[in-house]
Amino acid sequence: MKTIYILLSFCLLLSLLACGDRDVVKPTEQTTLFLRNKGADMPIWISGNSQSNKIVLFVHGGPGDCAMCYRYYLKGIEKDAMVAYWDQRVAGSSSGKVSESTLRYTQFGEDMELVVKLLKKQYPQAKIYLLGHSFGVELVWQFLTTGNNQQQVSGAMVVNGMYSYYNWLYNVREWALREARLKKNTEAETYLLANPVTPENTATIDWEGIYRWMYELDGNPVSLFDNNKYVINYAFNSPNTALAQFTHGKAYMYYGEVDSRTFEKGPLLKNIHIPVALFWGVKDGVVPMEVGRATKPLLTNARVTEVDFADSWHEPFVTETDKFTQAVKSFVR
Amino acid sequence: MKLFLYSIALLTVGLTLAQGQSIRLGYYGETVTHYGLKVAYERPVWGHVNVRNQATKQFLIAPSLAAYRHPKNHIGFILSPELTYRRVGRRGGLFDLCVAPAYFRYFLDGTTYQAKADGDFERVRLAGGSAFMPTVSVGVGRDLSVKHHLPLSWYTRLNLMQQRPYNTGELKRFALEAGVILNQ
Repeated sequence: MKTIYILLSFCLLLSLLACGDRDVVKPTEQTTLFLRNKGADMPIWISGNSQSNKIVLFVHGGPGDCAMCYRYYLKGIEKDAMVAYWDQRVAGSSSGKVSESTLRYTQFGEDMELVVKLLKKQYPQAKIYLLGHSFGVELVWQFLTTGNNQQQVSGAMVVNGMYSYYNWLYNVREWALREARLKKNTEAETYLLANPVTPENTATIDWEGIYRWMYELDGNPVSLFDNNKYVINYAFNSPNTALAQFTHGKAYMYYGEVDSRTFEKGPLLKNIHIPVALFWGVKDGVVPMEVGRATKPLLTNARVTEVDFADSWHEPFVTETDKFTQAVKSFVR
Repeated sequence: MKLFLYSIALLTVGLTLAQGQSIRLGYYGETVTHYGLKVAYERPVWGHVNVRNQATKQFLIAPSLAAYRHPKNHIGFILSPELTYRRVGRRGGLFDLCVAPAYFRYFLDGTTYQAKADGDFERVRLAGGSAFMPTVSVGVGRDLSVKHHLPLSWYTRLNLMQQRPYNTGELKRFALEAGVILNQ
């Protein structure tokens, strides 16, 4: 009898050992990956419901912003999907030794292709959805209008971002001019009237002057750092290096002065066939609602969903977090 | 990696040969969640006692090694030959001013992949990088041997550093340090 007990115990022990970690499907994913490409080490933090077999790839704005620093507002999505927070090169917590000459749309597009490919390799069963915000929307269009990239993803959500530099700056000026008149700011009105935006002058116009007035006229009065809980979370619970965030901006001079001014994806949007959602903060002056309204008719071959966030400016996920989370969940359902 | 191992070996030899006067051991980190430890072996190279106010002034050479973890970001090691000016007042108040041309080696705190030409990925083991990290530190504390006759001081320091290269340029960083100095 004793021998049988010993044998049974041995079998039980063996079966327990056989069920190692690798066989257990974790309900919640918490993984940190790094993608090394052309001098940059770019972190991708994957977090959320692994059983959903869905990944929302958050493509942050900026350029030079961060992904994980918005997790405070996006983590509601993690209950229904995994969220992949990717810090682009020379942004957030990315590190390495990077040449400024790589800070071009084409390189960001290549990085994004690799990020998607790596996620597909790590999670072969998962559907990938893009969630681009602001500058991240430019990268989403760059990615989707290149080669057969769109076949790699199941849908794209774009949040307050542009498809065309000219269309964007034209609408920022229009927005600012309207606000200047409403607020009876004659100095702003005079400046804006003296600086009309045309397709011919986009390469040379003083965009910063227009942009500055847009901000002065409350184009985006929301500051993340007004929320103490956010600041505490950023300082103590984020993988970001405290001062890194503020060093990236100066590397993007070429982007601001040359590369972005030639950005025009309007004629290519008709080639997109995957579902697209346009999420827009209605009060935004940074990328006004009119840009979103102009985007929809260009997506002639995509199923387009629109969600307006009436009480939001440039970051609807900050100002209307619950509604935003719900909109993402509905789109990926 | 090779450079890092050489540096460790150099530090070990340095610690063995030096006629050390004290060991400094403290918490080291950017915040409480980016935690680490720092150890230094302090050796005075010049000292002077002010007859009028009994304050002690010293210049110290201190090879040091800090190790810390910034979760989900990197694990860092900082090797520095510190040059410290220390003043201990008549009542034991301690003031440190330190400069160090430090060597920084970090390892990414996650699985790293690099794209291959054939479109697949290869895993990069011990991925990370090296950087030059000049550091300036200012610290205060109390020498407990003055009033309490204990061979011990407590101290706290603010380290201001510049990591170079970092992305397209450099990164300014800070770290807090707090601990004890064990006098021999």
